[in-house]
Amino acid sequence: MIRLENVTKRYGAENVAVRDASFDVAKGDFVFLVGPSGSGKSTLLRLINRQERPERGDVWVAGRNINEISDSRVPFLRRNMGNVFQDYKLLTNKTVFENVAFALEVIGKPRHMVSRQVPIVLDLVGLAGKEDRFPHQLSGGEQQRVSIARAFVNRPLILLADEPTGNLDPATGEGIMALLDEINTTGTTVVMATHDHRVVNAMRRRVIQLDRGVIVRDQERGVYE
Amino acid sequence: MIAKITYAFREMWASFRRNLTLTAAAILTSAIALLLVGATLLIQRAFDNLLVQWRGDVEMIVFIRSDASPEQISLVDQTIRSSPTIIDTEKLAYLDKAQTYEEAKRIFVGDPVTLSLLTPENIPSQFKVVPITQDPALVRSLSEQYRSLPGVEDVALAEDEFQVISTLSGFVRTVTLVMSLVLLVVAVGLIWNTIRTAMFARRREIEVMKLVGATNWFIRIPFMLEGLLQGLIGAVVSCGGLWVLNSAWTNGVASFKPGTGISSLVVPSSYLSGVMLMILAIGAVVGAVGSAIAASRFLDV
Repeated sequence: MIRLENVTKRYGAENVAVRDASFDVAKGDFVFLVGPSGSGKSTLLRLINRQERPERGDVWVAGRNINEISDSRVPFLRRNMGNVFQDYKLLTNKTVFENVAFALEVIGKPRHMVSRQVPIVLDLVGLAGKEDRFPHQLSGGEQQRVSIARAFVNRPLILLADEPTGNLDPATGEGIMALLDEINTTGTTVVMATHDHRVVNAMRRRVIQLDRGVIVRDQERGVYE
Repeated sequence: MIAKITYAFREMWASFRRNLTLTAAAILTSAIALLLVGATLLIQRAFDNLLVQWRGDVEMIVFIRSDASPEQISLVDQTIRSSPTIIDTEKLAYLDKAQTYEEAKRIFVGDPVTLSLLTPENIPSQFKVVPITQDPALVRSLSEQYRSLPGVEDVALAEDEFQVISTLSGFVRTVTLVMSLVLLVVAVGLIWNTIRTAMFARRREIEVMKLVGATNWFIRIPFMLEGLLQGLIGAVVSCGGLWVLNSAWTNGVASFKPGTGISSLVVPSSYLSGVMLMILAIGAVVGAVGSAIAASRFLDV
């Protein structure tokens, strides 16, 4: 589903974010990218959804080399991916329902499909009944659930999560992880960047560890260390 | 498809209302710029009416009586051509009655009484004479000679005042054209700035849109429509202004004595509507260009 081949990315001349990274993620996998801040986890995610382009090497997603697709095709690539962030990136002037519906509307889905899909996914993430709340009326965990609903409502092949539990207390974080796990069991490939020991150790999934841009460990059913 | 169109117009309208002061400034500037463009065209047309019969260095017109025979006309033609050192025979032109009548419609545009006395039958035909010589006395003496030919009704010479008007018209055209161009650039800049501000205010929304896979055109179009609307509203305002100005001018001119030449300084309403259509088109282009530049440059958030 995702394959990186000897990918190097630098910001400026000196600052190496990712160096010669290669790995393969199969369909339906759940992968943690771990490592301290600045080790290149976020850059890897940004390379996969083509917010960044590698300096050297190739990135393959769903059988296509995404460095070779034109800028105008990038939106269609991204429709196969959901994105979840540490700071949720919700639109504060829109309700829960509108935030999720927004993701469908802006890719041109018809209204009847929006009004059918959004309640289903809100129910899945456990926010049924809170459709008309605004983000500031929700707890952090609930806001993250809205953001996951928005990422998943289009049933993407891949879910990219960047520190989704970073702003949450452990108990709430566990709930979010259970939700991501549930989404993973539907066949969606999940790649999650984190430096949260607890969630990695509790899940026992594949762990790719980075240190200053270099992959130092790639282990099935790993722990954080 | 319908969902996309509704989305684009809803977003355009929301953004349009959000930045009311900036929007008003952009609209006002484009209105003034377009008003000047329109005024330039109208003034130019009015001057052209006055100068139409002297266009192309013509300095002498030999009017032929409407009842002149073909032989008489050809005699006049031969006589004029017999002085090739004084007259530019290559540029010598003969306007028959129908062509002269068309010309008269422009000269007497603000003087319908005189025009109504003319018909394509009773109007004189004319030779337009372009001299080679720089000596006015020589041209004048030739005109006396032509006046005595059979069939010639009158010979008119370009008088000095026409030269003055011609120079004045050129000057006015340059000044108004430069001013309107400068203002048009300012209008594009202001529309660019409003759209940029609108996009900056919504950068989080745009970021989310890009991440969930909205195409750049989908993101861009509401902003471009907003700029287009600003340009168009400016154009509508300036069309209103042009109409008011032109009516006031036409009414003012009507009170002048006929035959003073001032009555030629009027544009027909068909020309005014043509100018208005052009203003609307320019307004739309100005708005679209300003917003398109902004939308492309600030889409990378």
